[in-house]
Amino acid sequence: MSQAPESLTAKLIPIYIMGKRYEVPETLTIMKAIEHAGYKFIRGCGCRGGICGACGTVYRRPGDYRIHVGLACQTVVEPEMVLTQIPFYPANRASYDYATMEAVGAAVGALYPELFRCVACNACTKVCPMDVEVMDYIAAVKRGDLAEAMRLSFDCIQCGLCASRCMGELPQYHIAQLVRRLYGGKLAPATDHVDAMVKKIADGYYQQKIDELKKMSVDELKKLYTAREQEPHQAPELWKAKSAEGL
Amino acid sequence: MPYPEELKKLIKIVEGTRAERVARKKAGEEVPFLSLEQRKERLKHHPDFQEEGRRPLKVGASKGYAIAHEFADLLEARSRIDPNKVDLSRWDLETDVLVIGGGGAGSSAALLAQEHGAKVLLATKLRHGDANTMMAEGGIQAATKGDKDSPYYHYLDVMGGGHFTNVPELVERLVTDAPDVIRWLKALGCNFTQIEDGRLATLHGGGTSRKRMHYAADITGAEIMRTLRDEVRNRRADITVLEFSPAVELLLNEHGACAGAVLYNLETETYQLCKAKAVVMATGGSGRLHVRGFMTTNHYGATGDGVILGYRAGVPVSFLHTVQYHPTGVAFQEQAEGILITEKFRGAGANLVNVDGQQFVNEREPRDIEAASIILECTEKRKGVPTPSGKTGVWLDSPMIDMLEGEGTVKREFPGKHILFKRFEIDIAKEPMLIYPTLHYQNGGLEFKASGETKIPGFFVAGEVGGGIHGANRLMGNSLLDIVVFGRVAGASAGSFVKSKPRDGKLSLEHVSRYHAELEAAGVGMDRVAPMVLPDYTPADVKKKQWTAHYEGTLR
Amino acid sequence: MKIGYYPGCTLKSRAKNLEDSALASLAALGFEVEELPRWNCCGAVFSLANDDLIHHLAPVRDLIRAKDAGHERLITLCSMCYNTLARANLLMKHDEEKRKTLNLFMEEESDYFGEVEVLHVLDFLRRELGWEKLRAAVKRPLEGLRVAPYYGCTLLRPREVAIESPDLPVMFADFLRALGATPVEFPEATACCSSYQIIANESAALEASAKILRAATASSADALAMSCPVCEYNLGRRQGDVRSKHEGVGELPTFYFTQLLAIALGLPQETLGLKWNEASSLELLKKKSYLTVSA
Repeated sequence: MSQAPESLTAKLIPIYIMGKRYEVPETLTIMKAIEHAGYKFIRGCGCRGGICGACGTVYRRPGDYRIHVGLACQTVVEPEMVLTQIPFYPANRASYDYATMEAVGAAVGALYPELFRCVACNACTKVCPMDVEVMDYIAAVKRGDLAEAMRLSFDCIQCGLCASRCMGELPQYHIAQLVRRLYGGKLAPATDHVDAMVKKIADGYYQQKIDELKKMSVDELKKLYTAREQEPHQAPELWKAKSAEGL
Repeated sequence: MPYPEELKKLIKIVEGTRAERVARKKAGEEVPFLSLEQRKERLKHHPDFQEEGRRPLKVGASKGYAIAHEFADLLEARSRIDPNKVDLSRWDLETDVLVIGGGGAGSSAALLAQEHGAKVLLATKLRHGDANTMMAEGGIQAATKGDKDSPYYHYLDVMGGGHFTNVPELVERLVTDAPDVIRWLKALGCNFTQIEDGRLATLHGGGTSRKRMHYAADITGAEIMRTLRDEVRNRRADITVLEFSPAVELLLNEHGACAGAVLYNLETETYQLCKAKAVVMATGGSGRLHVRGFMTTNHYGATGDGVILGYRAGVPVSFLHTVQYHPTGVAFQEQAEGILITEKFRGAGANLVNVDGQQFVNEREPRDIEAASIILECTEKRKGVPTPSGKTGVWLDSPMIDMLEGEGTVKREFPGKHILFKRFEIDIAKEPMLIYPTLHYQNGGLEFKASGETKIPGFFVAGEVGGGIHGANRLMGNSLLDIVVFGRVAGASAGSFVKSKPRDGKLSLEHVSRYHAELEAAGVGMDRVAPMVLPDYTPADVKKKQWTAHYEGTLR
Repeated sequence: MKIGYYPGCTLKSRAKNLEDSALASLAALGFEVEELPRWNCCGAVFSLANDDLIHHLAPVRDLIRAKDAGHERLITLCSMCYNTLARANLLMKHDEEKRKTLNLFMEEESDYFGEVEVLHVLDFLRRELGWEKLRAAVKRPLEGLRVAPYYGCTLLRPREVAIESPDLPVMFADFLRALGATPVEFPEATACCSSYQIIANESAALEASAKILRAATASSADALAMSCPVCEYNLGRRQGDVRSKHEGVGELPTFYFTQLLAIALGLPQETLGLKWNEASSLELLKKKSYLTVSA
């Protein structure tokens, strides 16, 4: 449907899908180009918006020994590119009991002893389509700096390309996921305001007010809605409403 | 490619009015919000309100209810299977709770059902986590700051956003469970953005009266999804995940209770019967139906399957006539077209600006008002910005954010979009984005109760597949909330239902046969098959060359 | 300008006492050191055979990071990291063919020719400060404390990267003397603690440690000083196991040399990271009244 106009007007260029030549409009992403060629995706296509990690694609250009990477849904085709998708790559994930696990580097190392097989070859970072500094976050995990590893790995979409290239055979993205959870739930500052609100609600503090709202006619609700006080855009964090109604 | 010269000239006009707009914002002088009367008037320009786009259903529990043709086509269609040819005396899989859908709602449901003692099988169309949850960027609403906010204000905002049509019991559940959802996610290791004192950072979204949008940089949904998925994987002793296996039909039993589903292995094109004591439907939305030809922000598998299956089994649909158009989808670059630009940009202060550099709507109106205003600006008012591909859009003036919040804010708070546009040699901290509404959310769906139950015993609903929470229009940040709140509710309810030892009985596809008979009687849809499972983007000229006269096994 | 500092992984976890005491001491002595903004494990867990280039990637990459951060000199505290970085550096300096191979492989990094000077902090103090000045900076001389300086292997072997002549090493003793302590000579000062053999061949490793500890005790040492977290593990943390399996091994407190330095400089107790030491070490310090809390 929506693809039709551009494919009719744009210039056609040759690309090689797993070695086989197809002519596709030069404006398309790799994903749309593969569909244009006549493929219907089952694997290798997910969100189509650059965040789910389903469509990791590797390709080479003529006369260039380097491996290039991109997400098929985000990368525009180039003439003569030779590509394949890597929709799945085996990687072992260690199960763990999140509630009892200690948030320290040694605990991560115990689950993933292969961490220490990293030789800092940097192939993982080079192949990452999200420009995540994979080798650096692995280095941070090795020295137990989970906060830094969480920060460095935050944009990981778990496409698995790092694991496909690792000579130490590490499942980097699983390690990063574990570390981010350990940080978020066990090392990041506590959020007392959330707990306080949960308790207030459990204690029934707001129930009467909510019950009133539920029984109201649309007109009554509209009145309240229109009159409700708006926290200004530039208000400071500790802004106080003029009215204590409903608080 | 960077902006071409013609657009650069138009950007100069935006720059010309920017300083003044920033100054107004700093002084707290906002463009006034529309009154409820003005909103009604403005919404006439919304696609939902254009009658030619919809038709009344001729069959099923909601016969006579008018919804978009694209959806009606699928509801008025045959099953993929012939119910008379399926041997229901034996089944391939058996579980306590079958969860259909591997997004945020399905994963939450699986976790809670497991915590209630159930063995769970989670079947999903693509990979676990390939879902709209993953793509939600902006945030998740919850009134967690009792010094200035409460479920009371959250309730009012939700109702106002939905034009006071929402189901009150569902809204109550949504807003009163919200803080506990944030607590739960944080306790599972979700990294929400925090401010210095440890409080969670919160922003405004369209239609919020208090800043209650919690977020994780600009990948909030992905952070929630990958956390939930990781925890599901930790419980593999009790939760089995079956990928590339969408459900194509529900199974009932002789007592009329839901008793499992027919799953379709996309790769081997074989079908499996899964018997279950309870089923949670969490298949998400339907952007890939491309209602009215609009582009969509939705993931590849968003084809509304759960609504089709539930409707065939007898569950009515509601609010399905309203579809949410996200006001800000990418209109330029071509290859990023339709991609969502999070509402957080507007929450952080970026104006919507027309070709003359004039702000034409307050950027914090509810989504349908924003979308209708943009469409009005581009059509009747002819103040749209022409794109190189012959479409129109309006400016989302992102550089204002750095001027309001300090240099580097855009890059820090919106790393995903900053990188996306950097690939096109556009720095969105310095140049505005060209946007147009894009199909985003299925406001309605299967009818269900605040307990997740439906009119069919043993059949529960969670997430976008259900209708009623958001009324006719959902506010930003209430969808990530909805899927976790009602995912947990449905999972817990399904787990408890299993514990109550529901009556076992012979499996049945009688409801499908009856539905087929109804279609035949009404003379509609016998030439169509649903659910769609995956959209088809094969170009027409390629299709013409696909000459296979007869397929064994699958339809293409 | 600030001197580049390479910590190494263990110094960020179990050997925090080595890092904390060293950084506090260097600051007290007026040296400004700056941790490399990006660094990875030096790779010390692998042997650095000359024909095993893949294991040179990690240390060379660290050296490149030091160079890119504008550092001409890079100091290390851990003997293992020192050894690994110094050897990799020598290779990059002198072996043209292997240098070419490594630079080509790491094409995303700047080319490297061994420009950065790798220094162990003991050698750094000798060169930059000298023992006389160090003596002058001491506020709390460790008088009467008999310390056995334990070099282990990696500060002295191989010869090309030794911090001083491996035939008759004196630097460690000179350092201790400057602190006011009494260095004791003992025959096992440069013996191997058996390093990672503790994992693969535990009994042989414990035996090697027993020999070292016996020799130090026989020289009536009050404590053992060292600069390597692996040595510390074998001789300190596992000392209980050594004693239970081998007769005639007495309890001997162990310290990183930088902890003794910090004490002598009069630095407060919290810079010493004593929670990572064995109980006997703390007792000794208490007995000697060497501990102060900052005001």
